[in-house]
Amino acid sequence: MPLLECRGLARRFGALVAVDAFSMSLEAGRIRALIGPNGAGKSTIFNLITSMLKPSAGKIIFAGEDITALPAHAVARKGIARTFQLCHVFPALTVRENVSIAAQAREHRAWQLRGGGEAIARSAVATDEALEHLRLTRLAHVRAAMLSHGDQRLLEVAMAIAQKPRLLMLDEPTQGLSIEETDRAVEILRHMLNAGNLSVLLVEHDMEVVFKLAQDITVLHRGRVIAEGPPDVVKANAAARSAYLGESE
Amino acid sequence: MTFGFILAQCLSALSQAAILFFIACGLTLIFGIMRIVNFAHGAIFMLGAYVGLTVLAVTGSFLLSLLLAPVAVGGIGMAFEWIFLRHLYGRREGGAYLLLTFGLAIVLSELIRVIWGPQPLASGIPDYLRGIVVILGQPFPLYRLFLIASGIAAAVAIWQFLERTRAGLLIRAVAQNAEMVHALGTDVALVRTGVFGLGCAMAALGGVLAAPLVTAFLGMGTNVVIDAFVIVIIGGMGSFAGSLIGSILVGFVQVLGAYYFQDLALAFMYFLMLIVLVIRPGGLLGKED
Amino acid sequence: MSGKAAGCALAVVACALLPFAIPQYSLSVLIEALIFGLLAMSLDLLVGYCRLYSFGHAAAYGLGAYAAALILTHLQLPLPIGIALAVLATTLVAIPIAWICTRSTGVSFAMLTLAFAQLGYAMLFRFRDITGGSDGITGIPRPPGPWGITWFQGKIGYYYLVLGCLIVSYLVCRAIVRSAFGAVLSAIRENEPKAVALGYDTRLYKITTVVLSYAFGALAGALYAAFAGFASPELFFWLVSGRALIMVVVGGAGTLIGPILGGVFFIFLEHELSQVTDLWPLVFGSIFMAFVMFAPEGIWGLLSSRFKPVPGIPSAGPSDETSDAAA
Repeated sequence: MPLLECRGLARRFGALVAVDAFSMSLEAGRIRALIGPNGAGKSTIFNLITSMLKPSAGKIIFAGEDITALPAHAVARKGIARTFQLCHVFPALTVRENVSIAAQAREHRAWQLRGGGEAIARSAVATDEALEHLRLTRLAHVRAAMLSHGDQRLLEVAMAIAQKPRLLMLDEPTQGLSIEETDRAVEILRHMLNAGNLSVLLVEHDMEVVFKLAQDITVLHRGRVIAEGPPDVVKANAAARSAYLGESE
Repeated sequence: MTFGFILAQCLSALSQAAILFFIACGLTLIFGIMRIVNFAHGAIFMLGAYVGLTVLAVTGSFLLSLLLAPVAVGGIGMAFEWIFLRHLYGRREGGAYLLLTFGLAIVLSELIRVIWGPQPLASGIPDYLRGIVVILGQPFPLYRLFLIASGIAAAVAIWQFLERTRAGLLIRAVAQNAEMVHALGTDVALVRTGVFGLGCAMAALGGVLAAPLVTAFLGMGTNVVIDAFVIVIIGGMGSFAGSLIGSILVGFVQVLGAYYFQDLALAFMYFLMLIVLVIRPGGLLGKED
Repeated sequence: MSGKAAGCALAVVACALLPFAIPQYSLSVLIEALIFGLLAMSLDLLVGYCRLYSFGHAAAYGLGAYAAALILTHLQLPLPIGIALAVLATTLVAIPIAWICTRSTGVSFAMLTLAFAQLGYAMLFRFRDITGGSDGITGIPRPPGPWGITWFQGKIGYYYLVLGCLIVSYLVCRAIVRSAFGAVLSAIRENEPKAVALGYDTRLYKITTVVLSYAFGALAGALYAAFAGFASPELFFWLVSGRALIMVVVGGAGTLIGPILGGVFFIFLEHELSQVTDLWPLVFGSIFMAFVMFAPEGIWGLLSSRFKPVPGIPSAGPSDETSDAAA
């Protein structure tokens, strides 16, 4: 059974069709990239899966459960963690506090004013691990607003994995990064992804990054899937090339 | 329940709507241009009432008060925008605007209390507008007809201003896309100041018109700003047509509420607002932030 | 660290000795000041820690006061119990209010809270028989007990009661904001969509905070009613909410201490200045606007940023960050 299944997802904004008949399956432990030119609907799909937008049609099945109607915070609790295209951290809090709040989210119940000792310990461990993986430990006491853009993106990823998710969704993790920052991020991500067996859905523009990280690729164009498969198959696909690879880069 | 009676109630509602329109229209225009809700709008309305009464007392002319009070209060509004509000542009988070306009409301209320005293000021309707008109067998105050006429005149004037004049076009353009207008060479800041002044002037005019009916008292601003807010939510933030429709709607609701639920009339408005905001926390139609 | 603790202990001792050092009239003003400080602190939970601007906090104050007035007058329960019940009653009423208000944010939230306060104000006149209409409820007693204790019936005794309530409330609030719950509030304040994406039901957190804020506000109101001996509709008036808000912003939103101190000084200044000039509310309103524009972190915020900021309580209050918040 696939971990995540999208069946016939569609989203319209008035007359504009952002996503149409989108179907995709993600197997557990695999890293899939969602690529396509600007406006292809990638971020919309992310927002649909995480319930920040309601689909006009279609279903989302996660680990066998229909999560289409769940509110956003409930979806996160099911084990889906995501990062955002425009970096979303808590600017006035320190790096450690940022990650800590993410780690707590699993353990936390709304009505607990003081957490139980074990829960705190568990989330502290998760926080430390996440900081380690993303090589942010030395910056733990810096306010997030003071970090470089590259480090902020890494912080966001750290927050995502601190949630110990079953599915990690990364929305353009290398966007806005310089070449060095991108290389560093890719190296860290690759290391992290090899270490655990995370399931990852990745949106990326930088094709080099995609080919370095992804095991499967779905190509999107104007809200529809036009090609799918492992990297070499997609590279060879003419439709994909003309729609996307041929246009940019 | 004769037709005449129903008509009288409708006219009553429309006269109510007229006053509400003056305030709501200003509020929505200001929102359209500046993306802020001017919490001080009720206090501005109140200031208009008091200033109008003073002009009336000094000159004896209601007409003059209709002219001078809005100009004076509009000027104060522009000064406020110029000196205080414009410092806040560029702040992403709306809290500062809210607090600043709230602060203005407090300052204006206290100013009024200091200058005019805590007791309500009565003035009464000017002689030539006093009197009863009999419509279909029902007596109806002439002044309220005057209010309806004023409301219609103002609505048409503003509509034509927005649609036909260059300044109106500029305002509508800034409401749509301030950066573009700025790039085309217009001083958007000036437009903002002007619109804020216009909005305040309209609210003040509403105050002058309302004063003979309700007397001027401290606290008349608070309820009215909530009413105006409800109207703008219903009609859509930033929509002129919406403020017109919303005012009429709320006017009817208020009159019906007063008739059927006398004591709870005040509560009625709040229930309405609660219902609207509960159904659509962001508003019902028109442009949203 | 122990220097700080010593300082606090000194302050508490000084407060405890105050009633014997100052004249009776000043003691009354001081009691009122402490009550107002408590009210301001309760509002800080919303404004400073959640960035939810409530324009209707007078509702909490008024409800607490009237609840205490009715309970003490009609039921003759011991004072502490009467006050506790008043707080409980208001807290229960606050739940649906919180549920409704938190459906929106920003201006809509502010308007909704104001609407409830105005509604309360209007209801007082509607149910004249119970509430006494514009005269309010007078002659509120301070019944003795439990166990026959009566020290709070005198002014000095009441001062200690209020001081005790303020200190305990502060400690409780401080524990709350430093806890994991408080950390989530910071997250909601800094970036609510992100907090939601992490899995937090932010609505529930906001509702809880509103209810807590009302509870402490009600305590202030109840203490006031039993102190003054009467409860009147002015307690619901929007300018009461306004003064509390001013004190939170000027004192220092998000610091708890700032609003308390601000509230205390405000009342003292008010009493002093009102004898000299009629214009002081104008002055306060203007000072408020100046702070909003130029020093949103408030007096305490300014002072404490000169020293190392306390970890775990990030600076709050109306921010002027220009960062993007998209999703």
